Amino acid sequence: MPAVEVSRLLKGAPPVGKRQTLDEYRAAGGYEALRKGLGMTPEQITQAVIDSGVRGRGGAGFPAGRKWTFVPKNTGKPVYLAVNGDESEPGCFKDRQIMERVPHLLIEGAILACRAIGAQTAYIYVRGEYPSCIGNLEAAVEEARAAGILGSDVLGSGWRCDVWVHSGAGAYICGEETGMLSSIEGGRGYPRIKPPFPAVEGLWRSPTIINNVETIANVTLIVRDGADAWKSAGDADTPGTRLVGISGHVVRPCHVEIDPAKTTLRELIYDHAGGIWKGRKLKAVIPGGSSVPVLPATQIDVPFTYGAVKAAGSLAGAAGVIVMDDTTCMVDALLNLMEFYHHESCGQCTPCREGTGWLEKLVRRIWSGGGKPEDIALLDRVADTVGGAGAGKTICFLADSAVMPTKSFLKHFRADFERAVAEGGSPVWKARASRRKPAAHAGAR
Amino acid sequence: MPKLTIDGKTMEVPKGATVIQAARAAGIEIPHYCWHPGLSVAGNCRICLVEVEGMPTLQIACNLLCADNMVVRTQSEKAKGGRADVMELLLINHPLDCPICDQAGECKLQEYSFRIGKDRSSFDFPKVHKPKHVRFSDKVMFDAERCILCTRCVRFCAEVAKRDELDIVNRGDRNEIAVKRGGELENDYQMNVIDVCPVGALTSMDFRFKSRVWFLENAKSVCSGCSRGCNVTVGSRWNRVLRVIPRENPHVNQWWMCDAGRFTYKGNDADTRLGAPMIRKNGALAECSWDEALDAAAKGLRDAGADLLALVSGRLTNEEMWLAKDVLAHLGTPHRDVKPRAFAKDDFLRTGDGNPNSRGAALLGIAPGTGGSGLTSLGSRAFRGAALFGEDLDDRPEALEALSKCGFVLVVGSHETETSRRAAHVVLPGVTPFEKDGTYVNVSGRVQRLARSVIAPGEAWPDWKILGALRARLTGAPAPRTPADAFAEMCAASPAFSGLPWNGLGEHGADARTPEPAGAAR
Repeated sequence: MPAVEVSRLLKGAPPVGKRQTLDEYRAAGGYEALRKGLGMTPEQITQAVIDSGVRGRGGAGFPAGRKWTFVPKNTGKPVYLAVNGDESEPGCFKDRQIMERVPHLLIEGAILACRAIGAQTAYIYVRGEYPSCIGNLEAAVEEARAAGILGSDVLGSGWRCDVWVHSGAGAYICGEETGMLSSIEGGRGYPRIKPPFPAVEGLWRSPTIINNVETIANVTLIVRDGADAWKSAGDADTPGTRLVGISGHVVRPCHVEIDPAKTTLRELIYDHAGGIWKGRKLKAVIPGGSSVPVLPATQIDVPFTYGAVKAAGSLAGAAGVIVMDDTTCMVDALLNLMEFYHHESCGQCTPCREGTGWLEKLVRRIWSGGGKPEDIALLDRVADTVGGAGAGKTICFLADSAVMPTKSFLKHFRADFERAVAEGGSPVWKARASRRKPAAHAGAR
Repeated sequence: MPKLTIDGKTMEVPKGATVIQAARAAGIEIPHYCWHPGLSVAGNCRICLVEVEGMPTLQIACNLLCADNMVVRTQSEKAKGGRADVMELLLINHPLDCPICDQAGECKLQEYSFRIGKDRSSFDFPKVHKPKHVRFSDKVMFDAERCILCTRCVRFCAEVAKRDELDIVNRGDRNEIAVKRGGELENDYQMNVIDVCPVGALTSMDFRFKSRVWFLENAKSVCSGCSRGCNVTVGSRWNRVLRVIPRENPHVNQWWMCDAGRFTYKGNDADTRLGAPMIRKNGALAECSWDEALDAAAKGLRDAGADLLALVSGRLTNEEMWLAKDVLAHLGTPHRDVKPRAFAKDDFLRTGDGNPNSRGAALLGIAPGTGGSGLTSLGSRAFRGAALFGEDLDDRPEALEALSKCGFVLVVGSHETETSRRAAHVVLPGVTPFEKDGTYVNVSGRVQRLARSVIAPGEAWPDWKILGALRARLTGAPAPRTPADAFAEMCAASPAFSGLPWNGLGEHGADARTPEPAGAAR
C-alpha cells in the first residue's frame, strides 16, 4: 500500500519553519469555526466534541469531551484552560508542527474550548526548547488580539476571552499535566497529588481543563465540520487523524498526518519514513514516545490506533515512533532512556527519585561490562518496585514511564543484556573502551 | 459519615476523613513520613501504602478519602511488600550513619526499617553524595544526605509559620532542601522544622551531640515563656535540662512552639543561681539556715503588716499565688501586684505577655485590693516593707531605687539579681519552672500542669514550700506538704478552680471553671 497522507490539521500549512499569518488563515476559512461556535451554546460545543469521540492526543487517550464535563458548576471560581504544548517526550515532535506553522488553528480551538468549559483565560504552555513555536504563537496571539478575535469582545460577541503563551524552561516533568500547572503558577514543576483532579482544583486552585495541543487544534475542525464529518477519518477506537513523528534509524525522519485506521506501524516506518537506513533491517520500534513499551520487528503490522497498538503490546501514546535498526544494542538504547528518566525525575516520590537512579546504575553496569548475571533479574525486580503500567506507585507517570521500556526491553531483548553480561559489556561500550583508557564501570554519575 | 473497615475494625468517620486519619483514630498506626496531622497532604514518601478491596493497586492512606463500605487492609502481604519496597528505596542513598546521627533513637527511618523494612539491601553502588552540615541558621543544621525529601519542613514554613523560606532545588535523587535565595531561616518558629523532620536531616544547633536521646529523662510540662502555655516535653540528663520540645495539645499549641520558648531553660544552670537563704547583716548578705531566714522573713512581713507592698510574679504557679495571697490577706495588706512582662506578640502562638500565669493571677485576684497600691506607686509612696515573690526589679532602676529605701525587703527568687543584691534584707532561694510541680492558667483559661524535670541546686526550696512555711509561721495554718495539697486547698476555696482534680488535669489540662476573672481583676 502506498503511503497515504491526509491533510486536515496541516492543510494549507506553510513549510516547516514558516507561520501561517492571520490573513492567510482567514483566507482559508480560519475563525469561521469560532464564529459558528459563538452562535452555539457551551453545551452544544461540548456535545459536538463528545460526539466526535476525540481522544486526548497527549498520550493517555482520554475522551476530551467527557473530560470537559468534569468542570464543576457554580463554584464562584474562574475556570481555566491549559493547553499542553510542552511536548517533552523523547521521540515526539508533532505538536510543534501545529504551534509553529498553524498557530491560529490552535488559538481558535482554544477559544472554542474556553467557550465550552466556561473559561475566559487559556494558557498555552510551550516547551522551552521550541523558541520558534513560542515566537510564532505569540505573534499569532498579537494578531488575534489586534483583530478583535481575542480580548474583551471576541468577534463582537461581547464575550471576553484571552490566550497567554507561557514558555517552559526545559524540564520533562512540566509536560506532565499537573507539573505543568505548578510551572504555570511560577512554582517548581512538581506534579500534584490527585484527588483533587485539575478539573476541580487546577490552576490557582480553580477548575482547570488540560488538553494537548493537537486535541485543541482538532476542536476547531470538529466545530467547523461537525462531529460526523470529523469522524470520517479514523475508526471508532481512534476517530480523527493523527499527527505522527518518525525518527531514529530511518531513511527520512519525518512527521506525517495519517488516518490511524488506515495506516500501520509498518507503513509509517517503510513508506512514510522511507524504511530502515543504510540498508539495514528493523530491530525494534517504540511507537508512542520513549515511555511506552518497545515492540520487536515482528509486531509492526498493526494499524496506528490506540486499541491496535495496545493489543500489540505497547501504546500509541503521543505518536513518537522511534525506530532502531539491527545493529542497535538494546542495552545501549535502554541506558540512553534510563539516563533521561533519572535526570528528569522531579524527585518528589520516593520510588521514582531513588529508583530511576538505581535503574540507570544497573543498566550502566551491564552496559559497561561490570554486570553480574544476577543483575538482569535485579533490574527486572527493581523496575517492579519503582512502577509499571498503571502501577500507581507514584504521584505521576514518570516512574511508570521509566519502567515500561525497562520491562519491555528485558522481555523482548533479554539476549542483548545477557550478551553484555557475558561478553564484558555492550558493543558500544567496548568500541569506545578500545579507543580510550578503561573507565571505572561502577556506574556512579 | 462514611462507615469503613480497617484491618477488620469497622468504624464511622467524619466526612472528608482520610484513611490514615481514620486508622489513627482507631489506634492503627499506618507508617508515614511526609504526612503530618498539622500539615497539608504531600503524598510523596509513599510509605503509607494500604490495600483496598476492589482497587487494583496499593493506595496511599494519607490521600485516600474514607468511603462507605471501604475495606482497607494495612497488614496484607501486598501492603507490607509495597511498604518494604519503599523502605528499601529510601535507604539506598541514605548514609546509614545512625551511630553518629543525632536523630538516632527517635528516627522514623530507624523505626520503620526495624518494623517493616528488609534485613538487607540489593543496592551495591556508591551512594549519591550531597552537602552535609549546612547551616540553615544559628538554630538549625541540615544534612542533605540524610534527608528523605518529605517536604514537611518546607510545608511547615509556608503553611504554619507563614514564611515561605524553604524549597527544594535540583531534581531527582540530586534534590536538596534549601533556604530560598541562599538566605537563612529567619522565622520565629523555625525550630519546629527539626521536630517535624522524621529523620536526622534537620537537627538543633543547640541540642545536637549533647546526649543520645534515649538517655534523656522526659517530663511533660508547659512552657513558661509566655501566657500561651505551649505544652512541652522537657528532656534532661545529669540533672540538667538539655532541650525543650513541643508536645501536642489540640487545645493550646497543636504540635508547635516558638523558638524563644525552647530557650527558656537557658540560665537554669547559671552561676547566679541562689543555693542558700541569706540575711543582710552589717550591710552584707550572709548565708544562714532556713529556720533563721524564715523567722526573719516572717518578722519583717508581720512588722510591715498592712503597709507591705507585695509583688507576686506572674511566673509563679497558681498554688504559689494562692498561698501568697493567703499570707497577704492575713497581713491585711491590699498592696499586691504582678509585674507585667510585655514583648512583641504575633498572630500565632506568641501572646506578647511574658508572664505564663497572668490569667491565674487574675483569677486569684493578685492585683491591688480596695485602697491598695501597686508596682507603679513605688517611688511616689513609701512602704514599710516589701516582698518580692519570684520577682525582681532589675529592669526598672527607679522602682528598684525606691525599693531599696524600704525598711524591710524580702526577696524570694531562683537567681541572684541586682534587686536581691541591693535591696533585700532576707533572700529565700526559690526554684525555676523546671524544678517544681504546679499549675498555670494560660491565656485562654486552660489550667495546665507544670512538671518538675530537674532538682534545684543547693538548699533551694520550691516557692510553694517557702510560701507554705511563711504562712505557717504567720498564721499557724499547716504548710502544704506537696503542691497537690496546695492545689486541693486552692480548689476548695477558689471558684475558678472549684472541683478540678490535680491528677485529672492529665496531659492536656482542663478549662478553668470561671475562665474570666470575677470582679477582683484590674
